Amino acid sequence: MKKVSVLLIGFMLLVAGNAYSQENNKLVSSKSQIKFHSHTSVEDIEANNYTAVGTINTETGEFVYSVPMQGFEFEIALMQKHFNSDNFLDTKAFPKAKIKGKITKLDEVDFTKDGIYPVSVEGELTIKGVTKTVHEKASITVKSNAVHVQSSFNVVLADYGIEFLKGKPSKNIAKEVEVTVHGEYSQE
Amino acid sequence: MKKRKTLKILILLAITGLLIGGAAIIYLFNMPHQDIQSSKTDYFLTSTQIVEEYLADTQSANEKYLADDGNSKILEITGIINMISEDFNKQIVILMKEKGSKAGVSASFTEETNANAAQLTVGQTVTIKGVIRSGANYDEDLELFENVILEKCDVIITQN
Repeated sequence: MKKVSVLLIGFMLLVAGNAYSQENNKLVSSKSQIKFHSHTSVEDIEANNYTAVGTINTETGEFVYSVPMQGFEFEIALMQKHFNSDNFLDTKAFPKAKIKGKITKLDEVDFTKDGIYPVSVEGELTIKGVTKTVHEKASITVKSNAVHVQSSFNVVLADYGIEFLKGKPSKNIAKEVEVTVHGEYSQE
Repeated sequence: MKKRKTLKILILLAITGLLIGGAAIIYLFNMPHQDIQSSKTDYFLTSTQIVEEYLADTQSANEKYLADDGNSKILEITGIINMISEDFNKQIVILMKEKGSKAGVSASFTEETNANAAQLTVGQTVTIKGVIRSGANYDEDLELFENVILEKCDVIITQN
């Protein structure tokens, strides 16, 4: 009986220890800004989103960002309506966009030491239900226990089935928009 | 003579048309954002109720709460404050989540309503009104439960 309980306690400690170490490798970001910018000769359009949630596993370099699409805010209300509508991002049917990938050359990043680390990331970006492979540059800043990730890349709208062939949107919205991501991470 | 009269009417009609059209374009372009706080509340729920509803069936909950044009349902959510933080836009964010609940309701305030949120403390029970941006679900890639997200929030009732 004693033996069994010792084994049981040992097993429980093992499980707890494992869960603990896994948690420890995972950084969670609930403070973020995702901005997109469209530039044409007609106008500049910008929208900001502060609602995304992300994680980074500091051991494996895997990262994820989940972006609630209705959280994008435009200065002009009508643009926001168009953005959400089914011929643009159809946010009711596809409420979240996601980027999921891996930091390459993770060994060059020391999450315990202050510094700015330029990295490359590769992964999959899913917008409006369409998934494409992406390779982008990012920078990781470690400063007094806080980890910041910043990246800026271009997205070709037609790749995700968002295309305007006629009318005002075809002239006013760029074919390629710039997306800027900034996330602040802390231990879960 | 008759021809001239017809022409006159046509020109007048064209001008009226242009004026109405122009006014409509100006109106649409300057149309204000929906004022959440002065709009009618669509649903009154507790934080646990809406989380459970989303976790039970995300798709039908999205169908119920999200709108095609992004002007989704306006909710008044009552819950216990679990965490208070600030986003990159300097907006206060209140997480309402019951102990033992898998997910909660995250409510972002605005420049105008931040002062009301600043009065709140962790552990208090509050009712917060805002517009829903997305629902709760378990995300396999994040390995986390995502919270329900409300924005443009203000405090409606504070209990102690």
